[in-house]
Amino acid sequence: MTTHTDPPDDARVHGDDEHLPCGRPLSRVWDDWERRTEDPHRTGCPHCRRAVRELDELETAVRGLREEFPGTDAYDAGPLTRRVMDLVRLELRPGRPLPLGEPAEDLWIMEAVAARALREAAETVDGVRAGSCRLAPADGPDTGAVELRLDIHAPAGAGLPELAERVRRRVRETADRHLGMVIAAVDIRVTDLVDAPAGDQEGRTA
Amino acid sequence: MTAHIAHDTLVEDVAGVVEGVPGVAFLKPGLAARLRSAWSGPAAGPGAGRPPAAGIRLTPGPEGWHVDVQVVASRRDRTVDVTRAVRDAVQAHLAALSPGGPPARVTVTVTGLV
Repeated sequence: MTTHTDPPDDARVHGDDEHLPCGRPLSRVWDDWERRTEDPHRTGCPHCRRAVRELDELETAVRGLREEFPGTDAYDAGPLTRRVMDLVRLELRPGRPLPLGEPAEDLWIMEAVAARALREAAETVDGVRAGSCRLAPADGPDTGAVELRLDIHAPAGAGLPELAERVRRRVRETADRHLGMVIAAVDIRVTDLVDAPAGDQEGRTA
Repeated sequence: MTAHIAHDTLVEDVAGVVEGVPGVAFLKPGLAARLRSAWSGPAAGPGAGRPPAAGIRLTPGPEGWHVDVQVVASRRDRTVDVTRAVRDAVQAHLAALSPGGPPARVTVTVTGLV
């Protein structure tokens, strides 16, 4: 039987592209543009300009559609616009394809989509705010499993090992029950304590 | 030319099968492309400027069709179950079109959850 453990070609070409050809991370280009920071490189680089133009066109589209609908003045459409743009960003910056199900089933989910679901799962633990969530295929031939590294902000005063274990459990439950993704390892890193003095416990690993 | 049309027809056909699978919200391209086409106005027409069923790629091979499917799935369903249902539906559909042929290889990628 032929096994299919390589990510789909199209997704690999488009999905792994966190960096533009000029070497800049796409996320930074977008963030800088949204904050209107001065950046001579961004205005001169064709790759950065194209990345920014695409996001700008979509924001224009969202605003335009909102204005076209009569009666939408009656409520604040800002949250809807933000939600739409969050989804658009996921489409434009999907990350790499990661395996679903059993090894070699040839079923995949894009990293950014899975990461969002797993971050939300982590935040169901009281007081936890999820930050960076990185997913990667687990080491070893054709495991079909995924390793996860999640940064969290923890509530000050919480027992960190116990808190990390609760987060780990929620993440594993969601990966299994809602996604169907096999998780080999969950590495939780507490990067900040909420309500604690700034800089306290920075980078402490639980 | 005839083969090209037949291929496009088959792509549309498979797209219809995929979109009928419970738990599939829509095919890629998803929200970004829909916003662009909606904003470009009625002159552009629905689906204008994009290839038919761009979330489906069909490639003939010595061992049968390879079908690459990219979908946005519903959060209400377990994601892997949706992808398995898509794979099974596509394989069954292509098998019915060419009985006795080799089974299609189907790759399914979830590009969004709504």
